[in-house]
Amino acid sequence: MSSLKLTDVHKSYGKLEVIKGVDLEIQSKEFVVFVGPSGCGKSTLLRMIAGLEHITSGDLEIGGVRMNDVDPSKRGIAMVFQSYALYPHMTVRENMGFALRFAGVAKDQIAKQVNEAARILALEPLLDRLPKELSGGQRQRVAIGRAIVRNPQVFLFDEPLSNLDAELRVHMRIEIARLHKELQTTIIYVTHDQVEAMTLADTIVVLRDGIIEQVGKPLDLYDNPANLFVAGFIGSPKMNFMAGVVTASGHGGVTVELTNQGKAHVVLPLSGPAPAVGAAVTVGVRPEHFGLAGSGGPEITVAIDVAEHLGSTSYIYANTKSGEQIIIEREESRHELGHESITVAIDPAKTFLFSAAGERLR
Amino acid sequence: MTFAMLRRGIVYVLLSLAAFVSVFPFYWMVVGATNTSAEIIKGKTSLGSALITNATAFFTQVDALRIFWNSGVIAVVATALTLLVSSLAGYGFEMFRSRLREKLFGFLLLLLSIPFAAMMVPLFVMFSQAKLVNTFTAVILPTIASIFIIFYFRQATKAFPRELRDAAKIDGLKEWQIFLYVYLPVMRSTYAAATIIVFMANWNNYLWPLVVLQTAENKTITLILSGLTAAYTPDYGLILFGTVLATLPTLIIFFLLQRRFVEGMLGAVK
Repeated sequence: MSSLKLTDVHKSYGKLEVIKGVDLEIQSKEFVVFVGPSGCGKSTLLRMIAGLEHITSGDLEIGGVRMNDVDPSKRGIAMVFQSYALYPHMTVRENMGFALRFAGVAKDQIAKQVNEAARILALEPLLDRLPKELSGGQRQRVAIGRAIVRNPQVFLFDEPLSNLDAELRVHMRIEIARLHKELQTTIIYVTHDQVEAMTLADTIVVLRDGIIEQVGKPLDLYDNPANLFVAGFIGSPKMNFMAGVVTASGHGGVTVELTNQGKAHVVLPLSGPAPAVGAAVTVGVRPEHFGLAGSGGPEITVAIDVAEHLGSTSYIYANTKSGEQIIIEREESRHELGHESITVAIDPAKTFLFSAAGERLR
Repeated sequence: MTFAMLRRGIVYVLLSLAAFVSVFPFYWMVVGATNTSAEIIKGKTSLGSALITNATAFFTQVDALRIFWNSGVIAVVATALTLLVSSLAGYGFEMFRSRLREKLFGFLLLLLSIPFAAMMVPLFVMFSQAKLVNTFTAVILPTIASIFIIFYFRQATKAFPRELRDAAKIDGLKEWQIFLYVYLPVMRSTYAAATIIVFMANWNNYLWPLVVLQTAENKTITLILSGLTAAYTPDYGLILFGTVLATLPTLIIFFLLQRRFVEGMLGAVK
């Protein structure tokens, strides 16, 4: 159980810089999820923490000790890989005890630790099987078991559930959450699946192009995204973005004309500095935040393209005349949604405003 | 329907022909070992009764134990060293990134185009200066860094999951331990296939041993067999009997490693 600190960490391959200065502090026992689109550097950052990639510049501290040049096996970390990375020629028992064998731990002590990890993950009946005789979910449990046996200060997970089917993914997600509760260790978990991020994390770190876009609790990121990128990345289906122009600006608020939504005007409260009249802005509304027509606030009418009925809720994919796509979530009876067009209200209290550069205007 | 049947018929005829061309020399070799030289010259292709005569003649004329020992030692040691050195090189070429990697590898492949005959004289001079002529070391040394086997292992290593190496690093293994405890067992099919190829090449090696091995007690089976054909009236029964014996070790190794050979050639990492 240990804290971890990254200070101005950079990573370059030749002239290509993939991590462009990351500062991050992770508290002991915290469950941190790195999330971001493919190629954002989240796996590279994890591999740098693991010691599998060299840190070009900057400092990595685990438990207050600088670890930049320490061998991966001596950093007090354990890693679970996307492909499980189980040694195919060894039984589950041998896989789990392999690291201890090389660390010179006595045989009966290895057996004890392996059995304890097997008990925690209900792997006892599988201990003498080879990895090829296990299902995907079982393999992943063995991979986690192998990590537990090493009794690490920090667990690293690199997209561990990506190779599992949807049902198993949910199951394993819950299992990992349970494990964190039971083991009380620091966990760093990399995923591109924001549902995993939202459900597992104490803290989410959103990365893009090798820099941190925002760090925060899952619901803080959802309720208060720092910029257009985070707003679009967190939340499913993603937030709707509508182009707008500031038509009036004053203390405490702005009026924005939605260029592609029949010139509807939205009056938005602002506590910070307001953009100038004529400035291009983006208005963001989450699919679930559109109100019923007549519920107050400016209204827009859009043509329904496709409606997805999920039972408890429905997603309506609609297009404006200018081709902007809007996703609307509705919880009322699906029978009321058969129309060709729909009118919804924009609630200014639940609407986000972003500058042309993508920064959040509050 | 008829067209498909005709096509299938033609395919079967062609395949049978190819099978016949492949199998007949072996059949003829085995049958020849049981016939007298005169019968073989006449073209007899059925089993004869001269097996014992041929065997007796072979074992009286040839110090069989000695030459099989010579060939065996050379083939086994050369195979073990080739697999070790060339698989290490293949592993290294695939696992380690370097700006020079592809250039160096391309250069190696280019070397494949130099025929052995062109290197024979310089090699002989080198070994002569090192006072190694007429030793097994001289036969084995030039074979162990096999470009073809390095290439084969590099290609096979592409299928070796990199995350296994990462996992092993985190488990505290040094690079040589990863190679020994993880790579080697995982790639055993590749090693099996390479064993057959390399063993066969060394067992059958002719030209270089012919040049570098000079005294009778150091000669290998291929040199002895070829020597027998040089007689004024070659005894074909005796020669074919020797050939059958010379084929056996490769055959045994092939059957022992057959299943893994097929997996290895298909590039299976399981």
